[in-house]
Formats: sequence, C-alpha cells, structure tokens
Amino acid sequence: MTKAFTIAAVGVLRLFRDRSNIFFVFVLPLALVFLIGSVFGGGFTPTIGVSAPDGELAREVVSRLEETDGIGVRSYTARDELVRAVERGDVQAGVILPVDFDEALEGDGTVAVEFLARPDAAGPQLRTAVAAAIAEESALVRAARFGERRGLTEAFDVARRLQGEVSGVEVVTRAVGEALFPSSLGRFDLGASQQLVLFMFLTGLAGASALIETRQLGVIRRMMSTPTGVGTILLGEVLGRYGVVLVQGVYIVAFSLFAFGVDWGDPLGAVAILVVFGAVSTAFAVLMGATFRNAQQAGGLGVILGLGVAALGGSMVPLEIFSPTMRRVAHLTPHAWAYDAFAELVRRDGSLSDILGELGVLAAYALVAGTLAVWRLRVVTTWE
Amino acid sequence: MVGDPIVEVTGLRKRFGDVEAVRGIDFRVEVGETYGLLGPNGAGKTTTISIVAGLLRRDAGEVKVAGMPMDIDTAAPRALIGLVPQELAVYPDLTGRENLRFFGKLYGLSGASLRRRVEEVLEVIGLRDRADDRVDEYSGGMKRRLNIGIGLLHEPKLLILDEPTVGVDPQSRNAILESVEALSASGRGVLYTTHYMEEAERLCDRVGIIDEGRLVAEGTRRELIRLVGERDRVRLQGSGNLSGAADALGRLDGVGDVVAADRSLEVVTVDAARLLPELLAVATEAGMAVTQVEVSQPDLESVFLHLTGKALRD
Repeated sequence: MTKAFTIAAVGVLRLFRDRSNIFFVFVLPLALVFLIGSVFGGGFTPTIGVSAPDGELAREVVSRLEETDGIGVRSYTARDELVRAVERGDVQAGVILPVDFDEALEGDGTVAVEFLARPDAAGPQLRTAVAAAIAEESALVRAARFGERRGLTEAFDVARRLQGEVSGVEVVTRAVGEALFPSSLGRFDLGASQQLVLFMFLTGLAGASALIETRQLGVIRRMMSTPTGVGTILLGEVLGRYGVVLVQGVYIVAFSLFAFGVDWGDPLGAVAILVVFGAVSTAFAVLMGATFRNAQQAGGLGVILGLGVAALGGSMVPLEIFSPTMRRVAHLTPHAWAYDAFAELVRRDGSLSDILGELGVLAAYALVAGTLAVWRLRVVTTWE
Repeated sequence: MVGDPIVEVTGLRKRFGDVEAVRGIDFRVEVGETYGLLGPNGAGKTTTISIVAGLLRRDAGEVKVAGMPMDIDTAAPRALIGLVPQELAVYPDLTGRENLRFFGKLYGLSGASLRRRVEEVLEVIGLRDRADDRVDEYSGGMKRRLNIGIGLLHEPKLLILDEPTVGVDPQSRNAILESVEALSASGRGVLYTTHYMEEAERLCDRVGIIDEGRLVAEGTRRELIRLVGERDRVRLQGSGNLSGAADALGRLDGVGDVVAADRSLEVVTVDAARLLPELLAVATEAGMAVTQVEVSQPDLESVFLHLTGKALRD
C-alpha cells in the first residue's frame, strides 16, 4: 500500500509541477462560480446611491428608501460622486434630490427628482422602488397642501400624524404557479454545484493524458520490473488521479462555502457525492488513459467529452429548463445524477438517506467504468 | 564467482499474432559474467529480455533468476534484477534525484538506506551536480546515465541493459560503456543487448548471436570466430630472407598458411595475439628484418555475416 501511495504522490506532484494546472484545478472553477452567481444568481441585494440635501422632507424620502425591503441605500454628498459610482457599478442606481427639495415642497412648487440607473435588469426594479417612496412622500405633501388651502395651520404636522395613525394600503405579493427554484436559493448555490461536477469530471479526464504519457515513457513497464505488483501499480495510478479530483472537489466546496456562502446542504450527503462522483471521474479518466495511445488525442477528446457531457447533464444549463425528453436523455450522464443529488440536498433540505438512489447510480457508473479501466490498463501495461 | 547461473533461459518462445518473435531460445548468464545478445533490430532481443525481466508473458519455455522461476506475476526474483530499458523510462518533469528516490522506494528502499543509495548512484553516474535539475533540462547522455542509475539503486545481482547506447553521442556512449565495464568488474551479472558489434566485443565475456528469434550461435568471441572458421592474419613487412622466413613460419604449430608477397609475408593463424612474439622471433632468426607488423582479426560482424548471410545493420 505504501508503494501505491508513492506512485499516487508522484502523479499529484507531476500535475502541480505544471503551474497552469493550478489555475485550471483551483482558480478557474471558483472564478466561474463567482461569475455565474454574479450574473445569473438570485438573492442579490441591489444598492441605490442617494444624494440628498439636509432637510426634513429629503430625510424622509431617504428613510422610506431605507425601509424598502430588498434594496440597500448608500449616501453620497456630491452629485458627481454618485454619478461616477453608478457608472462604475458600485451602486446599481442613483437618486438625486435637488438642494431646494424641502423649500420647494413646503412652498407651492414642484421638484424634479433625478434617477440614474445602469442598463441592466436591476434598473427598472429600482426605479419602481424609488417611485413608490417618492409617491408616498408626495401623498403627504399633497395632503398638507390641501389642509393649508382649507386654512388648516400646522398642516404638515397633522398630515404626518394622520399618516402614522391611518393604515395604508397593504400590498401582498404572491407567486402563482410552481417556482423554478426556491426563493431561498442563494445566488451562488446553483452554479457552484454545477461547476463542481463539471470541473471534477474535466480534471479527471485531463489525468488521462498524464497516464498515457506515463505509459509512453515506459515508466509503468519499468515500475513493473521492480518488486511491485501490477495491482499495486494500477492502484497507485488510480489513487493519484482520484486524489487530485477529490482534493479539487473538497477545495471548491470549502472555498465557496466560506468565500461565497454557498449552501451545500447536508455535509454528509455532500461528502458522499464528492467521494462517489470523484470515483466516476477517475474511472472514466483511467479508461481513456488506458484506451488511447496518444496524449494529444486523449486531451482534445477529453475536453470535448468533458464539456459535452457536462452540458447534457445539467452542468451548464439547469436540468429544470430541459424538456422532459431531454431530461431523460440527460440522465444517461453521471452529471445529471450528481445534479439531482445536490438539488435534493440544497433545495429540498434533503439528507444522505434522501440521495441514496442517486449515489447508487453514480456508484454503478464508477464500478462499470472502473472495472473496464483496470482491465484495459492491465492489458496495455502487460502486453505492450 | 563465475560458475553459478544468475539467469537460466530454456526453450523460450513468444508469438505476437502471426509473428513468432522468439523461437526457442536457450542461454544462461553466470554470476559475474557479462553476456551479450547481439543481433539486428527486430531479432527478438527486447522480447527476450522483457520475458527475462518478467514484463512479458512467455508462450513456452522457462526462465529462472537465481534459481527462482520468473513470471509476470512473481515478485521475489525482481528484487535481484535491475532493468535499464531501451527507452528513457524516467519522468522528465521531475528532477534526477526525485526520479531516483521514486524508483528507489519501488525497489523497497526507504529512510537512510534510500538517501545513501541515491547519493551513491548520483556519484557513480556523475550527476551529483545536476541532481536537483529537472530531467527535461538534461542532455541526452545525462538522461541515459540516469536511466542506467535507476537500475543500480538496489544493487541488483543481475543488470539487464537493453541497447543503452541507442541515439547517444560518441562521448556519452564511451562513458556509458566505461560504466558498464565497471559494473561487470564489480561482480554482478550483466545481460546486455546491442546491435553494435564493437560494444559486444568490448564488454561481453560471452555473446549469443540472435537472428529472427533464434540463438544461432553462442560463445566467447574467439569461440565464435573459430566456429565459423575465420582466422587471424598477421602481415610482416620487411627485407632480408623472406623465403627462408616463410618456410620457418610455415613449420610452426598454429600457423595455417604463409603467403609471400613483395617485401611482405602474410601469416594465417588461429590466434595472432598468442603467436605474435614467436612469429617475430622465428622470422628474425630466419634472416628477415621486420619493419612493420599488421594484425587483422575477424570480428563478430564477419561471424554474423557468415552465420546469417546478412549484415548486423540490415
């Protein structure tokens, strides 16, 4: 067993001696988790920048915005500063109240409130929130002005008092039909599990080229001339690939958990998926490494196969978007079963016992591909 | 030490599909002996040593290493063998020291003994200064030396070298041959395959000539030459009584024929090296003033040609 670990350790050492592999194994997956989560993920709180003068009515508008659910407010003293913040994307929108805001409203004038937004999906939503806050404040102003026209002194104070006592119109939002994803799903949660599965499989297949190179160099034959059993050599080669895939999986889960707050669900269940899906990736990698003669051929096909199977298996586009037929086809890939297992853990608060079916299918993939791989590797190493 | 076989091969056969690569080979290598398998490319040398090293399953025959049967799934005899394959079977992206440590562990070395052997081997192969450089930064000769060094790590009783000088520049080649000579002198058995006649002549105590999967002849260089009837030729150039000298030389034991030419005599003999002092003494005594001596001995190339009807590099 010590010799198997020696062979495995050399496999890992060689992989990371090539610095570009560090990027592909550790940096790229998390960069994609972040990118996909930022662009497509839910659970994002947009921020409105506000530039307002120092006046009671202006402060009330800001307070109303701050009390609005689902948005954050950041204050800016200068208009230009706020414009730059919107341009740079530091805030998703900006509201600029004119310096004579209070004076104009307490008099009989009108004011123009400036709204700035970036040309993305958040802009119209934020405009609605700002319009609601302004409308609420303008209702107060209209009520006060009406009171003053009727000779009511202290009209603003009365209006404010009444506003506090009279209940407003309650707006209730209700979702109709079945939601594609639960509202509790974090912005990175879906993409993280998809990228995890995609990259574990891709990294595994990349190991096929290393295995072919080891065969081509004659190093495996040379190992066989030492007092080391064929089984130990094969175990070492398999363990080396499995170790890399598993380390990558654990790293993606741990880093995304702490850095992006990704919810991986039941830890036992998540670990079980990592272990079994890692075995699937390794088995396919060794099968390719033992089947192809040429490392370039295996490398090119590995990328195409890795990405193609990932796309088909729901690692690029959620399976929920697939038609029922395509969803059945997707379940020919191990990725779809891993996707289902993570969906159960993350979206439906499932536990290890709830994903035993998916784990069983993945284990069957690993077993079949692994048996073929070891048989093929034994043949090519002893007969070449 | 010579006399105990470290390798015994009997009736070895191996077929790849329609091609019978090895067709019943028998040979043995004694402890302390350097045995050469000499033959052209495709003769069956690598197949034979792959079976001897337990890397390839044989179809028939028997291989014993130090009296133990060797097969593809036997481990014990492998500890006695150091294999130096024809290809550079090292990791190019590891350093020389990392390669040695890796294979040392597979040979069962660990801890202090592993560290000691790695340093000793680095010294023997002359790579101590470059031990921590990546192998892909080595020259071709340095890679070859590392390739040999790995086979020496566990101090094997039998070193198998499969054409270790293929593709090597003359200077590195000479260094490798000197290393092999030193290894032979250290008392271990060496099984050496080559298609270079000069290497077999220089290194091997005995040579097996292999062609088309068959061992067509075996013996010391001299035995092989005698086997095919080839003789040494000594050309004595000079002046004086050439005809008297020719008569006197012709009467010596071991001299086959003496041919007189203008100012020279050509003596055909079975062993020029042994007879040369006597030839000179007899010719001088007969009145010939010898001014130049030229000895030509038949080589294994001519033996191979005689036995197979083709040149070694065909």
